[in-house]
Amino acid sequence: MARPRASIETDLFERGVLVRLSNVDAGYGASTVLMGIDFEARSGEVNLITGPAAAGKTTFTHLLRLALPPRSGRSVILGVDVMRARSREIADAKKRIGYVAENPVFIEQWSTFDNVAMPLRMLGQKPRDYAEDVRELVEFVGLGGASELPVEKLSGAERRRAAIARALAAKPNLILADDPTAGMSPADGRRIVKLLSEMRRVGAGVVIASQDDTLADVAPMWVWRIDRGRLSAPEQTEAADAEAYE
Amino acid sequence: MRGGLLGVERALFWTLAFAAFAAAAAGLAARGADRLAVDYEQSRNAYAIVRVIAPDGPAGMAAAETALASAPHVTSAAPMTAGRAAALLSEASGEPIDPAHVPDLRLIEIELAPASSHADVSGDIVAALAAGGVTAEVIEAPDSASGGGLAPRVRNAAFWGAIIFGAMMAVIAWLAARGLAARRREMVTVMCDLGATRSETAGRIADEAAVLGLYAGVAGGVLAAVAGVIVLLLAIPGTTLNTLPSMILPIDLVPIAAAPLFTAIIAGAGARAAAGQFHGEAARLG
Repeated sequence: MARPRASIETDLFERGVLVRLSNVDAGYGASTVLMGIDFEARSGEVNLITGPAAAGKTTFTHLLRLALPPRSGRSVILGVDVMRARSREIADAKKRIGYVAENPVFIEQWSTFDNVAMPLRMLGQKPRDYAEDVRELVEFVGLGGASELPVEKLSGAERRRAAIARALAAKPNLILADDPTAGMSPADGRRIVKLLSEMRRVGAGVVIASQDDTLADVAPMWVWRIDRGRLSAPEQTEAADAEAYE
Repeated sequence: MRGGLLGVERALFWTLAFAAFAAAAAGLAARGADRLAVDYEQSRNAYAIVRVIAPDGPAGMAAAETALASAPHVTSAAPMTAGRAAALLSEASGEPIDPAHVPDLRLIEIELAPASSHADVSGDIVAALAAGGVTAEVIEAPDSASGGGLAPRVRNAAFWGAIIFGAMMAVIAWLAARGLAARRREMVTVMCDLGATRSETAGRIADEAAVLGLYAGVAGGVLAAVAGVIVLLLAIPGTTLNTLPSMILPIDLVPIAAAPLFTAIIAGAGARAAAGQFHGEAARLG
């Protein structure tokens, strides 16, 4: 995988700044959804983006996962200046982002194992090289018993877990989760967020978008509030049940 | 192909195999028509009639036969008898003609060896007859009447007919490959979400379609070959499996050999185009 070119952006990345957005606007067609966004995410940290429905959370995750180009401002993601980068650099950066969609799409007839292994196959790895890692990952998200089941047979919560496992498979630098607890019981939702937050321990940066601001006490994290496309300054929280991680 | 062909994939395989079979069969039919047309043209050009003008009487006919025996291009010569003329006229007119009513003919039928297109066959024969003291004219098959010019038209029609039919089958293969890409749409979306570029995604789907097309093309080509052999055995009396190899030219095998290659290329290209389009739709947000 190509490393970012030596530059200010690379320097940022090497100092652990995975995302830096400065005064960024973004939107679809004629409508501008995000306005004047300033945001920073670092490796080993968890960020929660919370706000009401239609506040711009999903658009924000699209911006971070390099699926939506910014219209103005400056966006540096994984050492890549998004507005100046070549498509090859964008594509390489995308492969270092693990994304858990609100409604994750799978290859339904494939097993959980094969779906989770998909990012590694895309990187050209052979099954004998990744089989053990993927098996461990599937166990880690609690789907060990469903490893060989086709994804179409999984429940909503299990699909979300499978999506998390897939997002983690290629050991990404940045993990994005768009409303990962939607449709789950509060207990299941908190378990999912704990699972994602664990990734900060291996140096990944985690960004979670959710309407549920009570998730802020699941782990130490930066909480950013978004409303009508504007992001407020973050607050740092301590985990109420931090001992669960120790 | 994971776990063999299932449902839609199987249907797509047989659609591609059918397209390959039909295109290869059309190619074989065109080759057959082409060879018949060439044979027809050769047999037309291999026949002519010499009309003896002088000397009069049996001496003129005898001298002409002697001269024709050593004339260039001529492989055989035979005077046209009243019976032979009556039979030909009956065939042409559809009414019986009595040989007794046929006047004395001073005609000699000749068979000709294949000659280059630049050769003046009639002039050479007339010159040979003149050297033997005979004044005569040579009547060859007409260029445009009585089947003249038919062979080139048949060959053209067979060639372009096969090309057009092959193009139609290519469209069917292209659309079938798009169907495979549509079937893989969720894979396209997944790959797009995982950061695969359009060319990586389209290439992955195109490879699968090309492999499917290759196997389907082999199946279609083999089926067309079997059908061709059966047609030859049934249509040409005396044909056996032992005589077949000598009847088939290497060029006749081109449609069968081309079927897998073209099916793979077209299926791959169709799937690549569709997958690229689906990737663009999946990636298009802003």
